[in-house]
Amino acid sequence: MNIVRSVGGKLAGLVLTLFLASLLVFFSRFLVPGDPLSFLLRGRKPSPEAIAAVTEQYGLNLSPWEQYLKWIGGIFTGDFGRSMQYRQSVSEVLLDRLPVTLGLVIIAGLLITVFGLAAGILAAVKRGTWVDKTVVVTLTAFGAIPSFVAAVGFIALFAVQLGWFPSFGSGEGFWDTVRHLILPSAALALVYVVLIGKVTRSAMVEQLGREHVEVATSRGLSPAAVVRRHVLRNAVGPILTVSGMLVAGLLVSSSIIESAFGLSGLGSLLVQSVDRLDFPVVQAIVLLVVAVFVAVNAVVDLLQPLVDPRTVAGAGAR
Amino acid sequence: MSLLEISQLTLDLPGGKRLLHGIDLSVEPGRTVGLVGESGSGKSLTARTALGLFPERAVLGGSVRVDGVEVLGLAGPALRALRRRDVAMVFQDPRAGINPVRTLGDHLTEALRLGEGVSGEAARKRAMELMEAVRLPRPEKHFHQYPHELSGGQLQRIMIAGALMGNPRLLVCDEPTTALDVTTQAEIVRLLATLRDERGMGMLFITHDLGLAGALCDDVVVLAGGRVQERGDMAAVLAAPAAEYTRRLVAATPSLHLDDAPVVSLPDAGRLAGAGGRHEAGPATGGAAAGEAPDGAASAEATAGTRAGDDAVVPAEPAVPSAPAAGATAGTGAGDDAVVPLLRVDGVSRTYAVRGKDPVTAVADASFAIPRGAALGVVGESGSGKSTLARMVVGLETPDRGTITVAGKDRTGTPRGREERLAHARSVQMVFQDPYLSLDPRIPVHRAVRDAAALHAEGRDPAKVATELLDRVGLTVEQQAARPRTLSGGQRQRVAMARALAVQPELLVMDEATSALDVSVQAQVLELVTQLRAERGLTVLFISHDLGVVRRVCDETLVLRRGEIVEAGPTAALLDHPAHEYTRLLLDSVPRPDAGWRLAG
Repeated sequence: MNIVRSVGGKLAGLVLTLFLASLLVFFSRFLVPGDPLSFLLRGRKPSPEAIAAVTEQYGLNLSPWEQYLKWIGGIFTGDFGRSMQYRQSVSEVLLDRLPVTLGLVIIAGLLITVFGLAAGILAAVKRGTWVDKTVVVTLTAFGAIPSFVAAVGFIALFAVQLGWFPSFGSGEGFWDTVRHLILPSAALALVYVVLIGKVTRSAMVEQLGREHVEVATSRGLSPAAVVRRHVLRNAVGPILTVSGMLVAGLLVSSSIIESAFGLSGLGSLLVQSVDRLDFPVVQAIVLLVVAVFVAVNAVVDLLQPLVDPRTVAGAGAR
Repeated sequence: MSLLEISQLTLDLPGGKRLLHGIDLSVEPGRTVGLVGESGSGKSLTARTALGLFPERAVLGGSVRVDGVEVLGLAGPALRALRRRDVAMVFQDPRAGINPVRTLGDHLTEALRLGEGVSGEAARKRAMELMEAVRLPRPEKHFHQYPHELSGGQLQRIMIAGALMGNPRLLVCDEPTTALDVTTQAEIVRLLATLRDERGMGMLFITHDLGLAGALCDDVVVLAGGRVQERGDMAAVLAAPAAEYTRRLVAATPSLHLDDAPVVSLPDAGRLAGAGGRHEAGPATGGAAAGEAPDGAASAEATAGTRAGDDAVVPAEPAVPSAPAAGATAGTGAGDDAVVPLLRVDGVSRTYAVRGKDPVTAVADASFAIPRGAALGVVGESGSGKSTLARMVVGLETPDRGTITVAGKDRTGTPRGREERLAHARSVQMVFQDPYLSLDPRIPVHRAVRDAAALHAEGRDPAKVATELLDRVGLTVEQQAARPRTLSGGQRQRVAMARALAVQPELLVMDEATSALDVSVQAQVLELVTQLRAERGLTVLFISHDLGVVRRVCDETLVLRRGEIVEAGPTAALLDHPAHEYTRLLLDSVPRPDAGWRLAG
């Protein structure tokens, strides 16, 4: 009963968040200087009839509220409106670009999980030693590198000097695509590897000082078993929470990386659409990012009771 | 060959600081050795070496042998085998010591399964046997439960069962009952004694509680500052402590039986108002106490001997006649306060709603009063509602029903707005349990007290008030300028009292204010309370789980159980002739080295 109620509550919260986000996303357009009409007309001076036709076609003659209702109504039927720059439906434009970004985010996610956890676990287990210090200093240094600098650096080293990976484009077929996405994913992942590494380290160090770890040690368990079963296991909660928060950042950062590596994904589409005042596309992408963020964090919340049995679903830790 | 033989054990931290200075001790099979000392004495460090547990990078010297096998230097599989089969430890706080995210079954069986390669089914069977042995009600169910689903006492039974999984010959217990209620403590201690006798285990029992050590242990080793102060037969040491330190420890231990220094009752009752010494004091500071202690102890022993008719030893402290001012205060107070008590709590109730469960009644229809200048003790176990009561009196919490009146003014509920808040604060101040948490670590103590005084200046110079009060509670000028971090627990608690008094409250609420302190430090703080009451006619609401402490401070006491006042009356009468069965149970649960409590092997 409790689970059903809490999932229901989560869903209601999710819908409310998305509704508020849609308001913000839609009406912010009216605060931005620039008229979509002038972009559509591209500096030409057409007849008033032509202007009226375009205005009619894109619904620009309606009041903002009517436009919003039309837009939001369309979304429920999968219609995000028409892109002004491509003159085709937004959904088609997005679906076209989605695979590249998805691939980028998935590979980056794998890299973050593997290298972030490994660095954090290593530093925590060897805390206070030179290994720990080296890991922490390296992480801090990497964390200070902006992703576009990392992108340029990776291209210079791995693509130009060593020639291991291509530096441009998204490739054909599965393996070629993966090969093309390795460098961009690594550049995207770098900052987040640092974050996850540091969170893992501090969560584990905190657990290492707990009495239950000493009890487990006193019972004659091997150090590896103690770390696995009592330290890492108990540190999963904070790591998971932080991971949820990172998802939105990952999607947004991908725009920079995609531009640097010449990939045509959602990120580069967002930048390009903002530039060209293609509001339907901008609105759709931003709403998508918000939806993914809210959904991922709702899932993280729902997982908490599995991670820590003291958390009653929906009631928070006590 | 002894089961455990520690000789000339030294322990140095990597920085070169020496924590143990050549400790010797031995434990024989079937015997219990008490390791007694205050915090920082090195008792936990010493005991942990028997399992090869010590701080990282510590340098050890001397030898620790278990059944002739040297533990120091043992590493890897051999050390882990020792921990699984020979020596096991029961830790202080089962709530912290059992992994909260794993099932109890997993806690019990993991060492057998992962270390000894025992099958899951066999390990489970053994866990069931041991849960029966430690008298847990439903082993099958507990096996799949998580720690938060069990009470503290039940969890400690799980911890003990976990320690016994490998059939150890030596059981190290590190304050295994300190985190538990007094009635639960009695059950756990009896259980440990039974298990020891059934299995012929040797036991090394760490405690700060001399009464408990006296009840359970055959021999005792008293530690202070990483050195053995005294060793010998438990009863003999308690009866005639030879070392100066042991004598002070015995004197500082609060006792239920202060027969040679009876507590005088409330002034308003007119029973004993103004008669002689109002309060027995803790050990006076300085040399006087040391000089008097043996006499005090001897006379206490004589008294106890004639009363109980056995060889019981009752630690007591020297009686110090109180200042004449105390009697005067009480005398003058008696007239006014018979009419209007300073604190009146009338039919107060508080119920908490718990998500998914029945509401919990923390306090039910509580009514009592404290006359001006008196001290009322509130005694109860965890969950009895004593802290809720305190929080309502202080105004941190609003009662569902009933009224609270301080000095004739209504102080029911949380104050709203600045004026009301300040007025409430001037009526009541609280000293909290843990001075490590109740003082802001970034604020020097003098400023902390000055800030409190400045809020309620009323023409006084806050800085001067702060200096005066901190001088009064015995802090040096350097300590006053310091941040709490550099002060000891007792010094911090004295700062907390100075801060509360800076407001010049009419009522001081002390919620377990000495529970986190060592007995000797506790004695100092209690002594301070007594003196301040005598000097200032302070009215105190004193909340504690410790009957001995209440006996030392309070004129009247009430006993709370599950939110209800089950008994109330003058402290001495209540403790000597309890009317309610629960009060009797509480009293009988306090370990003491006499006939009903002989648990030594």
